[in-house]
Amino acid sequence: MSVGKKDISCPPEAPGTPLKDSDIAEKKVTYVEDHPDIRYAWTAGQAISRFLNELKKGKLIATKCNKCRRILFPPRMFCELCYKPIDDWVYVKDTGTVQTFSISYIDPDAKPLEKPVIVAVIAVDGASKNMAFMHVLGEVEPEKVYIGMKVKAVWKPEEEREGSVTDIKYWKPIEG
Amino acid sequence: MFNEKIIDPAELRHWGGKIELYWIYTSGEAGDRFFKALKDEDKFIAAKCKKCGKVFFPPRMYCEFDFSETEYVEVSGEGCVRAFTVAKLDKNEKPLEKPEIYAIIDIDGTDGCMIHLLREVEPEEVQIGMKVKPVLKDKAEREGKITDILYFKPS
Repeated sequence: MSVGKKDISCPPEAPGTPLKDSDIAEKKVTYVEDHPDIRYAWTAGQAISRFLNELKKGKLIATKCNKCRRILFPPRMFCELCYKPIDDWVYVKDTGTVQTFSISYIDPDAKPLEKPVIVAVIAVDGASKNMAFMHVLGEVEPEKVYIGMKVKAVWKPEEEREGSVTDIKYWKPIEG
Repeated sequence: MFNEKIIDPAELRHWGGKIELYWIYTSGEAGDRFFKALKDEDKFIAAKCKKCGKVFFPPRMYCEFDFSETEYVEVSGEGCVRAFTVAKLDKNEKPLEKPEIYAIIDIDGTDGCMIHLLREVEPEEVQIGMKVKPVLKDKAEREGKITDILYFKPS
């Protein structure tokens, strides 16, 4: 192919061919379609596996590093500050403090929710500073939530628990 | 040192997930004409550039070399093998009962080609340059897809 200026003319605009959904449904145009089945499994690892299994028993478990004396929650097998394996398992309480929160008026598909969901990061009592996990708040109006509010976990009945974070239904404010 | 290991695999947890993907890919104006002619009239359509005379197969609306319009021309659909490969495994890497031969076929009277299956021939007998012709599905079963051509066989 030659390079450089060529005597080329092309239409100033290409209008395209608009299609309606009905053109596809009625097979007015030819097409190919596919719906590939893409599945995956992601292992929870040693620490989170035990954390989930303890949730089924209605307990929150953390790990402990004897060097920096931190209680790691959610638990992990390795202390990222001391760069060494953790030393022990410890239970923490199912009460905590709201560190930050957000009020969501839409669901994951961006559809409006009838009742807004309050998502909060909760620092659990017994764990070290800067240790927290995310959950939802309940039995409280969005305008009454504040940072520093004390909350307590509301668990599902034991027979309904399945070893998931949803075994805690929500966290509710502690009176007073 | 804390070296606790999970010994019982039932203790190990995982999350399962599924990635939802769904698409429809239309053939476009020239492709639509090609598949409809194949489906309804048993015809193979190519597109000839009005300026340089290059014949595109599968057909295109515009010549990609000088951007001028093309006109649709009918071709036989027969051609010759430019290259081929013999597959002994399926897409899940399971052994196939009978090997499949995939070939690039230069279509007669065009500057284009098509990738398709070769059958009614043993893998050892396939040669580059071999003349082949298409075998179409029964007219009632055609859907306007590339699979309306079942395979190519020696002519």
